[in-house]
Amino acid sequence: METQIVLDNDILLDVRNLKVHFPIEEGVLLRKVVGTIRAVDGIDFEIRKGETLGLVGESGCGKSTTARAIAQLYEPTAGEIYLEGKDLCKLNREDLLKARMHMQMIFQDPYASLNPRMTIGDTIAEPLEIYRGRGFLQVSSSDIRKRVEDLLEKVGLSRYFVNRFPHEFSGGQKQRIGIARALALNPKLILADEPVSALDVSIQSQILNLLHDLQEEFGLTYLFIAHDLAVIRHISTRVAVMYLGVIVEIAESAELYRDPLHPYTRALLSAVPIPDPQVERTRKRIILEGDVPSPDRERHGCYFYDRCSQKMDVCQTNIPHLAQVKPDHRVACFLYFNP
Amino acid sequence: MAIYGLTLVTFYSLLSLLAPILPIYSYKHQVLDHQYLPPSLTKTAGELLYERQEKTLMEAARDQGRSELNEKEKEELSVLKQRINQETMVFDGKAVQVHQKRYILGTDSLGRDLLARIIYGGQVSISIGLVGTLTAVLIGLIIGALAGYLGRTFDYIAMRIVDIMYGLPYMLLVIIFMAIFGRNVINLFLCLALVSWLTLSRVVRGQIISLKNSEFVQAARVVGASTGRIVFRHLVPNILGVVAVFTTLQIPSFILMESFLSYLGLGVQAPLASWGSLVKDGVDGMKSYPWMLFFPGLAMTIFLFSMNFLGDGLRDALDPQSKNKL
Amino acid sequence: MEKQEILRIENLKTYFNTDDGMVKAVDGVSFILNRGETLGIVGESGCGKSVMNLSVMRLIPSPPGKIMDGDVFFHGKSVLSMSEDALRELRGNKISMIFQDPMTSLNPFLRISTQLVETLCLHQGLSRSEAREKAVQMLRLVGIPTPEKRIAAYPHQFSGGMRQRVMIAMALSCNPEILIADEPTTALDVTIQAQILEIIKDLTVKLKTAVILITHDLGVVSGMCNKICVMYAGRIVERASTDDVFRNSKHPYTRGLIRSVPRLDKTTRERLYSIPGTPPSLINIPECCPFHPRCEHAMDVCRVKYPDETDFGNEHKACCWLYGDSNRTG
Repeated sequence: METQIVLDNDILLDVRNLKVHFPIEEGVLLRKVVGTIRAVDGIDFEIRKGETLGLVGESGCGKSTTARAIAQLYEPTAGEIYLEGKDLCKLNREDLLKARMHMQMIFQDPYASLNPRMTIGDTIAEPLEIYRGRGFLQVSSSDIRKRVEDLLEKVGLSRYFVNRFPHEFSGGQKQRIGIARALALNPKLILADEPVSALDVSIQSQILNLLHDLQEEFGLTYLFIAHDLAVIRHISTRVAVMYLGVIVEIAESAELYRDPLHPYTRALLSAVPIPDPQVERTRKRIILEGDVPSPDRERHGCYFYDRCSQKMDVCQTNIPHLAQVKPDHRVACFLYFNP
Repeated sequence: MAIYGLTLVTFYSLLSLLAPILPIYSYKHQVLDHQYLPPSLTKTAGELLYERQEKTLMEAARDQGRSELNEKEKEELSVLKQRINQETMVFDGKAVQVHQKRYILGTDSLGRDLLARIIYGGQVSISIGLVGTLTAVLIGLIIGALAGYLGRTFDYIAMRIVDIMYGLPYMLLVIIFMAIFGRNVINLFLCLALVSWLTLSRVVRGQIISLKNSEFVQAARVVGASTGRIVFRHLVPNILGVVAVFTTLQIPSFILMESFLSYLGLGVQAPLASWGSLVKDGVDGMKSYPWMLFFPGLAMTIFLFSMNFLGDGLRDALDPQSKNKL
Repeated sequence: MEKQEILRIENLKTYFNTDDGMVKAVDGVSFILNRGETLGIVGESGCGKSVMNLSVMRLIPSPPGKIMDGDVFFHGKSVLSMSEDALRELRGNKISMIFQDPMTSLNPFLRISTQLVETLCLHQGLSRSEAREKAVQMLRLVGIPTPEKRIAAYPHQFSGGMRQRVMIAMALSCNPEILIADEPTTALDVTIQAQILEIIKDLTVKLKTAVILITHDLGVVSGMCNKICVMYAGRIVERASTDDVFRNSKHPYTRGLIRSVPRLDKTTRERLYSIPGTPPSLINIPECCPFHPRCEHAMDVCRVKYPDETDFGNEHKACCWLYGDSNRTG
């Protein structure tokens, strides 16, 4: 089984047929597996160097699980994740550690993602300490200290905050600390899991701007996960829409918003409120029936079948896979091609 | 309340530590004449002996129908008085005017000063409590934390061991252990610790399980932290509040366990005292010499209360959510 | 359309006495709600909108909170001086509330039927069977499938969106005059949010209920509300019709907020406008314009005195020293 593929020098992350299934166990004494949650059920996508791929969807669609699987926090049930040509799922501990230097994560909840008992200086320094301890980094303690202070300033905080504890900061500031930590090792790829969802509107724009500036300065590549479509539109070069563990549409950002093809994407876009009363008055909303379902069954037809207003017979018995229907625009729907 | 607790505990600890240099009598020197002397702040032992003898003689005289002492009896008393004023005994190479001693808390059945015995007993009890608890905490913390974080096989096996040990009558175990390995203080520490780590390991495990999926732990994994680092640098510091409270509440428990053992005669051996053994001695003479039970009991109770208050205060202080945090 | 005033808040002040100081959660809020109107209260976390909401129905926990000043008039009668009995008559019956997290407002140990029926019996004096029928009707109205069966379920057996619908059913079952919705869709997915907002809109139009919608989402208010009050640090800094707020906002905070929200229908991959700094702490807040540290137009007077209200006509009012002495009210 090859763990290396031919490099297309432009592609930083290449995810192929990724599946992450969680067993549902029941029983008190003898735990029996009675089903699976198919959180991620076969997705493919790539991210090129320097771009931002927005991953959007509602709760239960599998976007957070995808990020965590890429970060190797969950073990994928199937599939390959190639970071710069190496399959992360097949690496041994040592090589995985090396790979982690290039791939870091920003978390959603600023309150929960910082250890309340460590100073923020220690939190930011930790990755550097760990890698120095393993011999991957040749730096001294004072180098580390200096880097931590520099990072703090880079994210807009004073270097004198080094010895403070997380509870002394506001939500927005905590998120900046999380970003500083993610930057410590100079990664190439940053997985941002809903980094602004828990923040107030006026702080959101500050953090989005910060991420934007950092990307320009350091040539970062982002996988940006959010449920807010307006935020995704603003920050992404390309967007992938997820539903029930699969990608239903993936396209260049402006193209997706200009011409959404998949019925789910259309419904999603029409459901987003726009802060403009005139626009709101004149729009036509597509209201989806029913609830966001839970990914607990194996499916033999289109995952969106139950809620789709344009379903056809063929959709019930065949699973549509992503196919290219326009330049840089792929969609998984039989409205656009035959099974 | 916690401050009172802290003050008292510190006071006790200091007394115990400084016992050898305190101006108190020895805990093991016996003066058989001074058996069962009641506590007295002002009167010397000699005076008490004299009074006691006088009272006995008077009672004997009254039984005989007299209201006054006869010559022979008065002679006896005066001989006693002389002896009191002059007699010395040699203790550790020093001659001491033994009847000039003042026993503030009285004496026990062998004429030993109760105050000294309580203080030295405190030394023994507190150190058993402390060392035993720390050992138990160390074992419980490591096993509980690893079980909680690693889960699966390690957790299963560890928790089954805990379950089994819970089912065993631990006092019985301790007694058997002491019988086999001898009755000294070290063994006492060890076997008490071995049966007491169970509850803490379960508590720690529960806390770790609730924290191990927090985002800051995930963040630590993403930056490459090893299991050891995550457990001991990230998780354990966040559950210290619980551990601290457990520790302060376990110390009294240890002391009580030791008292129980001493009561059975399995605790510290004479002439060493511990609060437990003092209480045992006290119970025997409860009716006639109540101070022998009262003072050790009081000393122990105050200490246990103080530890409990201290534990409460510690919990509040270490809880990052509480307003009284450090 | 004739306006009939049903709720008037006048200079309401709710303070909390905490160990760290006096938190002026609501610091002089006034507005009027007319019959059939939908009023939006917009603000970020900590601006006091939820506290104001609870104050209206006297639901503030009394130590440490206290309504220090001002009054709330329902049909001209003071709510703050009402007796407990009269207040109970009001709550759930004439004025209903729904909250952000339906899991905490529904008793997890009681079936939905119990909770719905209880409300109806209490306030409308219906018999149990009549109440149950009405309850099923309400559930059908909010779009719960097979309500006769689902009514016997427990809250945890519903999804988030469904639970919110049940809340709405419960809130509207007594046909209240006012529905107060405190961030009703913040915790819901976008497609579910659309459903819920649609239900609220339909029903309140049908039942002619006035709505106070509290949210931080500018998109939601622009689609649902006739008029908007923008709150910041415990005060209303601007109030106007929805159109005026978005087209012609006067207060720098309102403007900044609107500019910093990314819009779905406009592409910008450049930097967003963002308001610098962070919202102020409400502890011992001084008597000045609370927004001045973040305001690009801040002047000396802003630092020392809270601006008077300026009336721009058409019920558009804002509190900002930029509009100085002219057009002052009162």
